[in-house]
Amino acid sequence: MLSMFKTIPTHMDYKGQKLAEQIFQGIILISAVIGFVYGLIVEQFGWTVYIVLAGFAVSCVLTLPPWPMYRKNPLSWQPVVPESSGESNQKPQESLKKKKHK
Amino acid sequence: MNTVLSRANSLFAFSLSVMAALTFGCFITTAFKDRRVPVDIHVSKVMLKNVDDFTGPRERSDLGFLTFDLSADLQPIFDWNVKQLFLYLSAEYATKSNSLNQVVLWDKIVLRGENTMLNLRDMKSKYFFFDDGNGLRANKNITLTLSWNVVPNAGILPLVAGSGHVSLPFPDTYEITKSY
Repeated sequence: MLSMFKTIPTHMDYKGQKLAEQIFQGIILISAVIGFVYGLIVEQFGWTVYIVLAGFAVSCVLTLPPWPMYRKNPLSWQPVVPESSGESNQKPQESLKKKKHK
Repeated sequence: MNTVLSRANSLFAFSLSVMAALTFGCFITTAFKDRRVPVDIHVSKVMLKNVDDFTGPRERSDLGFLTFDLSADLQPIFDWNVKQLFLYLSAEYATKSNSLNQVVLWDKIVLRGENTMLNLRDMKSKYFFFDDGNGLRANKNITLTLSWNVVPNAGILPLVAGSGHVSLPFPDTYEITKSY
């Protein structure tokens, strides 16, 4: 049962993770500002909460599933080095130079 | 951020932090507001009795009966950080044994969205105006004040006294209870 879920690919690449975090923070902050101003105008704090919850739902839809836009920069792993060459501890330097994000 | 669960976790945590900040903003926008409004209290009838007080060792205590009119516009108190008001009418007076006596005579809850124009005529007090002795008879200065608790969404619970109180003298003689 669990192994069935584990086969679903959910990962994002590093740039995709950064993009996803920026997107949800932006959406929630914007909805918070809109909700605060609207709630202040109509004098109902409940509307503020509802608007932030709507922003939460939108950002869930946008950033929880690994949409293709978060997987545009896959890591370029080195090809599998054959066992016979003996130089097997050579590290893939290029991909590690990118800034890791969480 | 590499799995759905870790993304959901950081999304939820960020949303909660933002919500907490908004709630604090709601508090800070209303924290320094003056929640006093003018209140008009008018006492139309005062009656004083001397009845058995079964709660103590003394024989008889003073029991006052008030009929009052109350009018106030509570609309300025309400804003987005007010859920309800708890209004109460209290009587304050001094006796020989206590320099300050406070008795709550009447109260009312005004919820958000209810009618905020308070216009009550010939109200009788909800609770007994019992003195713990004979301090009501011929007391010349009994002050009625309408106060309220503001119940907020977030922040402190202010206790506000309405501006406008009435002081009245109580009669020198007891009303005789007629029994038929």
